[in-house]
Amino acid sequence: MADYTKPIPSPDPVSQPFWDGAKEGKLMLPRCDDCNRVHWYPRVICPFCHSMNIEWVEATGRGTIHTFAVQHNKGLVARGWGDEVPYVTAYIDLAEGDRMLTVLKGVDPNDPESIQIGGAVQIEFEEASDDVHIPFWRPV
Amino acid sequence: MPGEASKAAAIIGAAEANDIGYPQTPKSSLTLHIEAINNVCEMTGIPIAAIDGIFSAGWSPQIAEYLGLHPKYIDTTAVGGCSFEMHVHHALAAIHAGVINVALVTHGEMGFSQRFTQGKGTGRPGGAGDPWDPGTQHTMAYGLGGAPTSYSHALNRHMARYGTTQEDFAEIAVVTREWATLNPRAVMYRKAGEGDLPPLEKGEWGGGKRGHTFGGPITVDTVMNSRPISWPIKLLDVCLVTDHGGAVLITGPELARTSKTPPVWIAGAGESISHWNMLEMGEFTKTSAGRSAAAAYKMAGMGPEDMEMAMIYDSFTVTAGITAEMLGLAPEGEGFRLWKDRHAAPGGRLPINTNGGGLSFNHSGMYGMQLLVEAYRQLSGTAEDGGFSGDPGKQTSARSCVVNGTGGSLSTTGTLVLVSDD
Repeated sequence: MADYTKPIPSPDPVSQPFWDGAKEGKLMLPRCDDCNRVHWYPRVICPFCHSMNIEWVEATGRGTIHTFAVQHNKGLVARGWGDEVPYVTAYIDLAEGDRMLTVLKGVDPNDPESIQIGGAVQIEFEEASDDVHIPFWRPV
Repeated sequence: MPGEASKAAAIIGAAEANDIGYPQTPKSSLTLHIEAINNVCEMTGIPIAAIDGIFSAGWSPQIAEYLGLHPKYIDTTAVGGCSFEMHVHHALAAIHAGVINVALVTHGEMGFSQRFTQGKGTGRPGGAGDPWDPGTQHTMAYGLGGAPTSYSHALNRHMARYGTTQEDFAEIAVVTREWATLNPRAVMYRKAGEGDLPPLEKGEWGGGKRGHTFGGPITVDTVMNSRPISWPIKLLDVCLVTDHGGAVLITGPELARTSKTPPVWIAGAGESISHWNMLEMGEFTKTSAGRSAAAAYKMAGMGPEDMEMAMIYDSFTVTAGITAEMLGLAPEGEGFRLWKDRHAAPGGRLPINTNGGGLSFNHSGMYGMQLLVEAYRQLSGTAEDGGFSGDPGKQTSARSCVVNGTGGSLSTTGTLVLVSDD
């Protein structure tokens, strides 16, 4: 944990329930109490109906790969990730709706044809610091 | 029926800085601005002192101060490479409303040479911005950095959705390079049959990091064999990183008639946004250019079938391919065919990116000004003049052009419909 060398996000008051859930291994998502739609990233206002009645719900942690890419260039990726190339970044369509960015675990970056757009994935969390556990996704 | 603002203003001149590309002696971004401004004012005969509106991507107060101007309209919209197409839209509106008479749209960016000045003096701010910014907070953990690391996701999605291939998109780079071999101002200019340029000396141009030869014609194989950057994007799917300065002047009809240079009319203009962080992009194979183009075509009373050429932002081959679809120039999923079937090539029915594009002419980080300068040169019939922009390029017969800038991560778009003087 102390040796986590990649960027660690800074939780803020709006997103704190998400990060609290992450520490317990749960995917918490913001949902509008009026239109019932889940959104990501967390907001104080629903981006679909502009209601400010936002509640947090525990999600299934399941999703599908919307698209992905294999990062090969040390100089282009953010600090801390250069030593990890090649690695696979992906956008995940959440089972509850809307989309997250992630790094895919358990895939072969040297064989991108083996990774399926539309394929099912499951969330997991990595303890980057005492306060921040970072979500990653892995094919089921 | 064209909209009320259609042709309420014209671009009356467009010029570049004296040294663009990879200059031997780096000049500051501000100097690149000023050289281009001086050149465009000389070519049009409009004195710098007559400028009463300044439009730039973040530089307008500094430009005004440096030139001792007190403009009545100050616009510093900076939303990525399409900012300059939006500036033209805003200038059209400001002139149509009678607020100003002479609008300057200006650009200067030492995209290449900044490597010589980084870390000197106060340098550039090194922080990643506000850590609580949601786009930062919920993406920073995954290491996405330079633009190629994001745009590759759109290319992969396009291939999965439409069955397109990396080779299809490589055709865009090949044809665009062909245009560059006709334009001596292009970084990748080199005629077929000329021998390889000698490799760059170590220590020259960035510490020997570019110790390879380049320029001249390429093939699909050249693109496919270039090194992987962010799969499925390879090096030759990616634009250049160069220096550039450019400026255009925009006036109403009366002043346009007194210019020493031919006017190119702004028949239509539109702008839009779909997201800022790619995390918020909806369908990865569509951009807001669908909306900005619809607005521009509506104002112009014209459609894609009326366009005789196109200047399409090509930060990456995928940017150009998708945008051609959004502009209605090709069916969805088939934008690449304009290049593969050589319609976009020299001699084709719809020339695209006649300067050699961001891929092979010049791309300074923001490329929207380069699009404007080339569209002006083509539609004013001055593409073969050395004039204020150095060497001549290849003149086409086009009398109408759709210009589309794309900024951010396929986020923001500005579309213009420009037409030659009657």
